[in-house]
Amino acid sequence: MIQKKICMVGVHGTGKTCLVQQFVHSIFSVKYLSTVGVKIDRKEVRAGDTDVTLMLWDLEGRDGTRDISASYLRGAHGVILVADGTRVDTVDQLVDLRRIVDDAVGPVPSIVALNKIDLTDEWKLSQAEEAAAGGKDVHRVRTSAKTGEGVESAFQWLAEATLVAKAEES
Amino acid sequence: MTVEPSRIPVNGDESAAEFNALRKILLGPEQDRIEELAEEIHARELTTEELAEKLPEAIALRGSRDDQVGRALSPAIDTALREAIRRDPQEMASAIFPVLGPAIRKAIAETMSSLVRSINNAVEQSLSLNGMKWRVESWRTGVPYPEIVIKHALVYRVEQAFLVHAETGLLLEHVAALDLSVPDADLISSMLSAIQDFVRDSFRPTEGAMLRTFTVGEHTIQVEAGPRALLAVVIRGNAPDAVLHRQQTVLETLHMEFAGALADFNGDAAPFVSARPLLEDCLETVLSTSSRKKGSRVWLKWSIPLAILLFVIAGMWVRSSMRWNRALSALRAEPGLVVVDADRNFSSWEISGMRDPAARDPRTVLAGVGIAPKELTGRWEGYLSLNPALVAARARRTLDSLSKSIEESRVLFAPGSAVLDQSAVALLSSVAFRYRQLESAAAQSAAKPKLELIGRTDPTGRDETNAALAEQRSEAVSTWLESSGIRSQDLARNPIATGSPLSSPDSAEQARINRSVSFRITIFPLAPVAGRR
Repeated sequence: MIQKKICMVGVHGTGKTCLVQQFVHSIFSVKYLSTVGVKIDRKEVRAGDTDVTLMLWDLEGRDGTRDISASYLRGAHGVILVADGTRVDTVDQLVDLRRIVDDAVGPVPSIVALNKIDLTDEWKLSQAEEAAAGGKDVHRVRTSAKTGEGVESAFQWLAEATLVAKAEES
Repeated sequence: MTVEPSRIPVNGDESAAEFNALRKILLGPEQDRIEELAEEIHARELTTEELAEKLPEAIALRGSRDDQVGRALSPAIDTALREAIRRDPQEMASAIFPVLGPAIRKAIAETMSSLVRSINNAVEQSLSLNGMKWRVESWRTGVPYPEIVIKHALVYRVEQAFLVHAETGLLLEHVAALDLSVPDADLISSMLSAIQDFVRDSFRPTEGAMLRTFTVGEHTIQVEAGPRALLAVVIRGNAPDAVLHRQQTVLETLHMEFAGALADFNGDAAPFVSARPLLEDCLETVLSTSSRKKGSRVWLKWSIPLAILLFVIAGMWVRSSMRWNRALSALRAEPGLVVVDADRNFSSWEISGMRDPAARDPRTVLAGVGIAPKELTGRWEGYLSLNPALVAARARRTLDSLSKSIEESRVLFAPGSAVLDQSAVALLSSVAFRYRQLESAAAQSAAKPKLELIGRTDPTGRDETNAALAEQRSEAVSTWLESSGIRSQDLARNPIATGSPLSSPDSAEQARINRSVSFRITIFPLAPVAGRR
């Protein structure tokens, strides 16, 4: 059984927690996020012929006063960067968040989830902006916590990416 | 120094020979030296090779003769070992771990099995108050008895051990007590690691410091951190330091055994399956099975009621013995009773012996000293006691019965007559006979009787006539008795006539019985001199 530590980071209120809630096994309540600053869930994915257990570290969202904790990022095998497509500032901060992740764990497979695509009327991003979200060399996926669209495929992609990263490393 | 032959002008064979000679002169010594050195080198190589081939045999050969080889090598080996350990202790530890690990495990296994034995003993042989209480609880709740014992006797139990990758917080391996199922060990493992980070971020302790112990209800989570992995154990109850020491040792061993796997860990926990036996060494269940200690406590608990019980029994026994002794001594002291055999059991007393007819009833004697035995059995044989009191009592009884029989006799007369008829004479001879008996019995008690003759008449007729008649009747009786040999001074005539008549419901009968002379006996003690004699 392969396990991977995956961190979910993003600005506060981008729907990180909601995004994964219905897809994961969890024993800890949401209040851990505001108390300990992290909530850990489990997601099992089959990548090729390998079973991968993703341990999802849902980090408390960045807000005006508190940045994401570098300690929790330590040792992560992959990162999900979540932004809210209806709030441009959350997308703008992705680059900065990526820098923090890079500083903490180096280059690891990352995926940008542009969330809340169900809110089509409020969607603020042009195609070009979407394509540039999070900077260069990053996989992007449009997701909806409400409909679940894009979520499974995001996990799938990330699980495979971490396995490939491992293979390349060795 | 070398000369290139190609640069030498060649003029012919002669010149070639000359050249050779010249070369020999110029280079000869060096050439020889080179050859010598080459031979020397060759010889030396040969020797080393030969040595390599021969050395093991040589050592074996010498070793079989004496221990010089060992002695010669020992300082060198000492130094080499010291140097090796100084340079890389980890390497050395890893090298000897395969030897030490199994030995340690074996020792632990033996300790555990002896612990299990003592638990079994405690469980099997537990007849203590607690043991019985727990059996009742087990029967009542339907929980198996051993579980009840563990619940009550548990000092501590190391229930789970988590081996956690330090950097990622991923679970490397997890073991739990057999009866526990922990489906989300991986989530707990990650959260444990997150909490470590949280505490470090929040309180910024000194470098390397960490959250080592925290307690939740009856569970204590004890975390030991190594450079690459954390070992967390979940303990129920109060664990001694020994648990922590074992935890540290296991963690150190794991770092040695799995140094490579820990360094290269990239999410695949498969290599750590073989760490399970080591982690299982951390698990243990310790019960308070020190039966001696427990036994003494039970004894202490029981000792007070037991002492009271013993005290009560002893008190009752003493009281019963005292009663028994008092009863026996009362019976023995009683005149006319001779106790021959006395026995008692729980419910009854059996006392046998000899009893003078004049003696008091044993039961009465006992009642006299305030003892009323529930059941008093035993046979009393009759005998005559020579006890003076009894002799006197016996005499008194004889006197009493004789006196009574005489006093009940009544000499009857026809109306107006003072003549003794036939039946009167028969009665008087019987009275005279009994009086003489009385006399001799009284003499034994140093006394003598006096016979009073009470003469009566019926109320008919005048008083003077009646008085005279009473007088005549008394005299007739007196005269007859004197003639039968009774001394006149022992007889006293008392003709009361109609005074103090005998009464009867029938008036004719009353008249008849009052036409009579009746008797009254008085017994006087003899003079003191006679009594003393």
